[in-house]
Amino acid sequence: MILFSGSGIIASGDSLHQEIRLDAGQAMDLVLVALGGGQAVFDVEIAGAGADINLRGLYLCGGNDRLDIKVNMRHSVGESRSNQLFRGIMTGEARARFDGRIVVAPDAQKTEAYQINQNLQLSDDAVVETLPQLEIYADDVKCSHGATVGNLNLDEQFYMRSRGVSLEEARRLQMISFLAPVMEGLPEDVKEQVYAAIR
Amino acid sequence: MAKRDSIIGEVVGKDYEYGFTTDVEQEFIPKGLNEDIIRLISAKKQEPQWLLDFRLDAFRRWQKMEMPKWAHLDIPEIDFQDIIYYAAPKRNEDAPSEIDPKLLETFDKLGIPLEEREALAGVQSKDGTSGMVVDAIFDSVGVKKVFHKELDERGIIFCSFNEAVREYPDLVRKYLASVVPVGDNFYSALNSAVFSDGSFCYIPKGVKCPMELSSYFRINAKGTGQFERTLIVADEGSYVSYLEGCTAPMRDENQLHAAVVEIVVEKDADVKYSTVQNWYPGDAQGRGGIFNFVTKRGICKGENSHLSWTQVETGSAITWKYPSTILLGDNSSSEFYSVAVTNNYQQADTGTKMIHLGKNTRSRIVSKGISAGHSQNSYRGLVRMGKGAVGGRNHSQCDSLLIGDKCGAHTFPVIKNENASAVVEHEATTSKISEDQLFYCNQRGIGPEEAVGLIVNGYAREVLAKLPMEFAVEAKKLLQVSLEGSVG
Repeated sequence: MILFSGSGIIASGDSLHQEIRLDAGQAMDLVLVALGGGQAVFDVEIAGAGADINLRGLYLCGGNDRLDIKVNMRHSVGESRSNQLFRGIMTGEARARFDGRIVVAPDAQKTEAYQINQNLQLSDDAVVETLPQLEIYADDVKCSHGATVGNLNLDEQFYMRSRGVSLEEARRLQMISFLAPVMEGLPEDVKEQVYAAIR
Repeated sequence: MAKRDSIIGEVVGKDYEYGFTTDVEQEFIPKGLNEDIIRLISAKKQEPQWLLDFRLDAFRRWQKMEMPKWAHLDIPEIDFQDIIYYAAPKRNEDAPSEIDPKLLETFDKLGIPLEEREALAGVQSKDGTSGMVVDAIFDSVGVKKVFHKELDERGIIFCSFNEAVREYPDLVRKYLASVVPVGDNFYSALNSAVFSDGSFCYIPKGVKCPMELSSYFRINAKGTGQFERTLIVADEGSYVSYLEGCTAPMRDENQLHAAVVEIVVEKDADVKYSTVQNWYPGDAQGRGGIFNFVTKRGICKGENSHLSWTQVETGSAITWKYPSTILLGDNSSSEFYSVAVTNNYQQADTGTKMIHLGKNTRSRIVSKGISAGHSQNSYRGLVRMGKGAVGGRNHSQCDSLLIGDKCGAHTFPVIKNENASAVVEHEATTSKISEDQLFYCNQRGIGPEEAVGLIVNGYAREVLAKLPMEFAVEAKKLLQVSLEGSVG
């Protein structure tokens, strides 16, 4: 697993634990790339107004991979913003668990917090577990979360195949486009690595 | 205009209108819980040995269990030895078959018709069924033998649980604890040990129940708990719509209500289960109120079976309740529609479990939480697609509405997918009633309270529309009353 910020790689390894604190006006953009299993924990404390964090992640799990992602996004002070987007593709007998929590403390008014976790499950032997959670103690907030588990769209495949794209290539394109929003801004060589891992 | 004023007056002017106590002579058993108490309850009910054994087994298991702590609830310590587990109105020895007029009066006051009559004379509800038959439970016993000609003609069994044990022991034995095993959880084990009465319903093959069946639960006695048990069996190709209502007196003490509801839906059968839960919620300072710890579960056993849950939760100091469906039969489907309102210091942790096991099983969850005052309102749910749930489909929508800045609204869903062809979607939002919406209403002469009522009803409309007509009207009013005083 590799963790990127705007300026480059900030951490890597099979087990990542990031404790992040954002004070007033600070902004952060993080992208987790997990090609395989591992454990990643993000403990984020948003402690100042105007703070803004954009946390993204992609995972490709196959074989016997075990992946565990935990996000604890705590808005202690209002007028702050967080946005999470995690997308993963599961094959083989892999197992992935996404456990993400947004907490908006009492009086943290005008908080905006969003979270999305989407999964493509391409094997009957893979298991996806997702636990998106909202804990909201203030009323003037905009918070939402969404989670999906699904498969590749057959209409899209048909569209491509009727134009001479092979099934294999069509599936690859679908997977690349699925992960594209997470990959935005990543260095080209990392993108190449991800493309190579999609089979 | 005058009419509207009277509705507002009616709505705003009342607190908890069912908080009265009926002064009726009752017989109690001693406080506390041990094997002798269970034997005593069983003896009072003149139960067969197998049921006593069932209770004792449950009690022994319960003793080894602990109160679940995982819910987002702050539950005070409950002393299970400080509860009276059986209370029944005394029967008139001279005329044992007559119902105490005070009981009739009580249920009349609650608006529950016990006499055989059409609930809504001359009005046919949408699905062509008419009227309603009620089984009323007062503390630990059924009030009256339910009888209705139309039910009898079709072979539909609808009676108190106690009566079912005597008259239809084979059916009860076959299905009891088949959906909610005794040791399923702490409260289901407790209920299995001490349950006193409840309703039993059996719809024979191919029969479409022509009227709404209803159970009404009333807690009256002080210091008691209510532990009723409901068992509904819909045989192949049958249909039934079942309603459940409940109220309790206003008291400073907390009373425990731990029920178990089991529903078996066979091939091609269709069951619609609706609840309007209006237990006493406690006062504005959070004193008193019912602890509502309920286990409800249904199984869609056969192909193409269907089970639909609709609940409107406005009462109880604490609610811990997850009506669930096991989708075992291929092509079976289930829905869960819920509106949960909490105000003052109420706490609710409620939601559903959809366990997909059969092929092409579908489920839909629509949950609308509304929290006001200092209350905490949580949605907790599980959607599981098993390996065999090929082509399984679920969509969940959980919205929370916050009114005021001292309350909390939470969403804790769990999604587990174990096959590649299932599709699961979950979305949740949290919002408040916007100033713009209120301003729009105020500007047109609609007061703040009424505006909130209007907006909340609009927000909950999708769920309210699923309720049988008689209930929907009541539920709309209830929403307004529950939120009274929560703005401004």
